[in-house]
Amino acid sequence: MYKISRAAIYFTLLAAFIIEGSVLNHIRIFGAAPDLVLIIVIFFGSFLGGAAGLEAGIFAGILRDIFAFDFFGINMFVLGITGLVVGGLNTKFSRDSQLTQVILVFLFTVFSLLMHFGIVSMFSSFTSLGLGEYFMISVLPVSIYTTLISIPVFSQLIRIFNLKMPEEFI
Amino acid sequence: MQTKKFKISIILVVIILSIILAANSKNFTSPLRIKIIDVLSPLLKSVHSCYSLVGRAMPFKSLREESRILRARIEMMNRKIEEMKVLSEENDRLKTLLDFKKTIPFATIPAQVIGRDSTNWSNSIIINKGLIQRVSRNRAVISTKGLVGRLVEVGRYSSKILLITDPNSRVGVLIQRNRQGGILVGRPDGKCKMIYISLDSDTAVGDKVISAGFGSIFPKDILVGEVIKVGKEPGRLYKYAIVKPSEDMSRLGEVLCIR
Repeated sequence: MYKISRAAIYFTLLAAFIIEGSVLNHIRIFGAAPDLVLIIVIFFGSFLGGAAGLEAGIFAGILRDIFAFDFFGINMFVLGITGLVVGGLNTKFSRDSQLTQVILVFLFTVFSLLMHFGIVSMFSSFTSLGLGEYFMISVLPVSIYTTLISIPVFSQLIRIFNLKMPEEFI
Repeated sequence: MQTKKFKISIILVVIILSIILAANSKNFTSPLRIKIIDVLSPLLKSVHSCYSLVGRAMPFKSLREESRILRARIEMMNRKIEEMKVLSEENDRLKTLLDFKKTIPFATIPAQVIGRDSTNWSNSIIINKGLIQRVSRNRAVISTKGLVGRLVEVGRYSSKILLITDPNSRVGVLIQRNRQGGILVGRPDGKCKMIYISLDSDTAVGDKVISAGFGSIFPKDILVGEVIKVGKEPGRLYKYAIVKPSEDMSRLGEVLCIR
């Protein structure tokens, strides 16, 4: 079982949040910015399990909810559930395979964005944005961009936290 | 014995002659000395040159040190020049903002953007002005290029602005050319959508969109953006237009909060 200290998890999420709000906001492509915080939550969920994924998601979500205008708790919920589901599935796939990581990030980015849209549509009295339009202008570009960014991010995080598969499993 | 006396006599004579010569030497010895010096001068120059060379070569170590210090100073100066460039750009922006402030008919409070919401869904920014500077909730925020958004949360020293590109934002707007009204809503991709445009309207790409001034938040006739696409959604009784905001929201540095 992989182990990363709680302080390291929180610090990484905080750093990702700062980078996302400063640097990545300026390099938008088609209005989409890569979701670095989500990548980190997926990373912790897939390597550390559901509980850690949930905890990381809740912490990252709180950070986002503080700065966002949406009703408080929506990001906490979406990221927490994403971390939990990724962590719950982590024994079902090979997390050391780069292809698996890429597919995982793409699918869970789509999942989290659609969940966000669903919750907003449920609670908002006035939504001018249709699901199809939202998918085309936001979900697709963000998911592709996030997936591309996740490749170097995952490899760097594996290197930083020294997460190599134990000898007996190779 | 005689030989010994002879030698002593010669030495004495030489000493006496030397004393006499020394006593009357000025007219005689000076020209001689300068002649000798003249003859020896090339040699002296060579020796001096060698000495100077050695003298210059000796402190090589300190020269290297000096060079290192100078290089560090150059680096520091370069950094300062870069800082000055940033300050100069900021100064230009603030000057533009100040000039713009003089031209608008309402009282405003200038503010700097100190943070922004990073999610792909919502679009909001945080500024460095709050209740202390008499910023109040539900007031319009503009920039030199046009409408930016409205103040939604006001703290003592900072406030949150909901940008017009946020899906939660609603602004009453008009097409400047034909005065066609509609509501502008934000989209997650950084553009806006103007809805409720009547079907017989001749709204076209390139039309300027301005604030309508309905309600109490946004003053009228503030530039919002430009139409980049016009369309009709199936099953709806109105047209829509995609509007590109006149201000690039991802690069906002300074804004003006209307009082």
